[in-house]
Amino acid sequence: MKQNKKMIVCFLTPALLFFVGIFLYPVCRTIVMSFFNVEAVSDPVSLWKFVGFSNYVSLAKTQIFHVAMGNMLKIWLLGGIGVMVVSLLFAAILTSGVKGKEFYRAVIYVPNIINAVAIATMWINCVYNKRFGLLHNFFDMIGADQLAKTDYMNGSIKFYSLLVAFCFGSVGYFMLIFMSGIERLPGDIYEAATIDGASKIRQFGTITLPLLRGVFKTCITFWTISVIGFFVWSQMWSAPLNSEMTTITPFVYMYNVTFGNQGNAQRDAGLGAAVGVVMAVVVLIVFFVMNRVVKNDDIEF
Amino acid sequence: MTKQKEVSKVKRHKLPGTDWKKQIPLLPGHIIVGIWVLFTFVMLAWILCASLANSREIMGGQAMLLPSGPHFDNYARAWSANNISVFFLNSLLYATCTMAGSVLISAPAAYVLARSVFKGNGLIRSGFITAMSIPQIMIVLPLFSLATQMGLTGSKVVLIILYIGMQIPYTTTFLITFFANLSTVYEEAAAIDGCPPMRTFWQIMLPLAQPGIVTVGIFNFMNIWNEYFMSLIFASNERNMSVGPGLRTVLTAMQYTGDWGGLFAAVVIVFLPTLLLFVGLSKTIISGITSGGVKG
Repeated sequence: MKQNKKMIVCFLTPALLFFVGIFLYPVCRTIVMSFFNVEAVSDPVSLWKFVGFSNYVSLAKTQIFHVAMGNMLKIWLLGGIGVMVVSLLFAAILTSGVKGKEFYRAVIYVPNIINAVAIATMWINCVYNKRFGLLHNFFDMIGADQLAKTDYMNGSIKFYSLLVAFCFGSVGYFMLIFMSGIERLPGDIYEAATIDGASKIRQFGTITLPLLRGVFKTCITFWTISVIGFFVWSQMWSAPLNSEMTTITPFVYMYNVTFGNQGNAQRDAGLGAAVGVVMAVVVLIVFFVMNRVVKNDDIEF
Repeated sequence: MTKQKEVSKVKRHKLPGTDWKKQIPLLPGHIIVGIWVLFTFVMLAWILCASLANSREIMGGQAMLLPSGPHFDNYARAWSANNISVFFLNSLLYATCTMAGSVLISAPAAYVLARSVFKGNGLIRSGFITAMSIPQIMIVLPLFSLATQMGLTGSKVVLIILYIGMQIPYTTTFLITFFANLSTVYEEAAAIDGCPPMRTFWQIMLPLAQPGIVTVGIFNFMNIWNEYFMSLIFASNERNMSVGPGLRTVLTAMQYTGDWGGLFAAVVIVFLPTLLLFVGLSKTIISGITSGGVKG
C-alpha cells in the first residue's frame, strides 16, 4: 500500500506540474490581469494598476471589438449551420451502406490533417484567384463573363470566401463524430421501423436525429471552441495588412492589442486579457446552455 | 456478440454478385459525396502541378498542363532560398520532442488515474478534460510573460516545453481509456512473481499499451506540425519558426519576388509529411478520433 502511494505521487507529479504551469496558473493570471491596466505583456506585477471593470467597459465601447464579435457570431451561426448540415448529410450517406465508405471518409477528412496555412494558400490561389483560379475558369468556360471577373479576395465577398474555405475543412471532423454516433445506435429499432413500413428518410428524421441529441451537443461545443480559436484563417485572408475589418475576429483583435506590430497607437495587455476572459465566458455560456437544452439522461444503449 | 458478428459476416457474403445492385438506390449519395471528394482531389492535383510549373504558366492558367515540362528546381529553391528547410527541421524537432515527451509524462499519469483509487482522481481527470477546451487566448499572455522572465524567449526550448504541456491533457485522457481497457491479470501475475508495481508499469503495462501510445503519438505529431499561433508568438525570429508561420513569411516574400512555383513547392513540402502519415495510417487515425478522443 505504501509503495502504491509512492507510485501515485511519482507518476502523477510531472503531469500535474505541467497542468498547473500551462493551464491553471495562466488562466488565473489572465482573469486577474483583465482587471488591471497592463501596458506590455511581460510587465512585472508591480507595474500593474488596478482599474476594476474599466477594461471591459472600454471593450464594450470599442468599435473594432464589436466588428470582431459580429464576425465571430456570423462564422459561428452561418458556418455552424452549414458545417452541421453538410457533415450530418455526409454521415447519413456514408452509413447507409455505400461502397467505398472508408475511402470517402478518409478523403473528406484530409483537410483536417493539412497545415492551415498550406490549405488556405491552396484555396486562395487554386480556387479563388481572379486570374487563374478554378472558379474563374469555371465561369469563364460556361460564358458567365461577369461572374468570372469576381474578385473573391476583396470587398464584402471576402468574408464569405473565407467562411466557405474554413467550413470546407471542418466538415470532415464533424462528419466522423456524427458517423460514430449513428453507428452506435441500436440496429433493432431500424428493423422494427422497416417492418412497420417507415421509409429510410422517415427513419432518419424520427429515429436517428432525436437519438443524436447528445452528439449534437458535443459537436456544437467543439464548433464553438474552434470558432473562438479562429486566427490563422483570418490572418491568411488579410495577408498584406495585418488587421482588416472584414475578417477580424476577437482572437486577432487580442493579438493586435497585445503583440500588435503596426497600426496600434498603444499596446494594452490588460485589454487583451479581458478579450480572453470574454471568450472563455462565451464558451462557458454555450456549454451550460447546451447542457440545459439537451439532457443526455434518458437514452442508454 | 460473436454470434452477431458471424451473422453479419454471413449476410455480407451471401450474394456477392448482386452487390452492385444494392448500390443503385444509393447513387444520389455516391454523387453528392463523390463531387466533394473530386473537388478535394482537384485541389491537391492542382497544387502538385503548380509546384512544378513556372510562374508564367501559373499566371496564364496553364498550371495543370505543364507545357514546358516539370520544373523540379522549384523545390530546390523553396527548400534553400525560401528557408523552408529551416522551418521543416524545426517542426520536425518540435513534433518529435512533443510526441515523445508528452507520452513519457502522460502515460504514467494515465496509468495511475486508470488503475488506482484515491482522493482527487475524478477531480484531476475533469481538470484535464476542462483544459482541452480552454481557448489558447486565455493562457497565452501569462505564458509569454513567464517565458520572458525566465529569459527563454527566442529559443527552441520554450516551444518544446509549451507544446509538451499543451498536449498533456489530451494525451492523458486518451491513454486513461486505453489503460482502463487492459486486463488486470498481468499486474496480478507480476505481483505474485514479486515484481514491484513501478517496474510492472514500465516493463509490462507500457509495452502492452503500445497501440494506444502509437495512435496518440501520431495525433500529437500532426497537431504540433500544424500548430500556428504559439509558434508565431514564441518563435520570435525565423530561425525558430515552425512550418505554419514560416510558410506565411514565404507567402509575404512572394509578393515581392513573384516566385509562384517556389511558393507552391513550399506548400507541398509543408503538407506532404502529414498527408503521407495519414495515407499510410488513415484507419488507425480515424478510429482514434472516434473512439478515444471524443465520447458523445
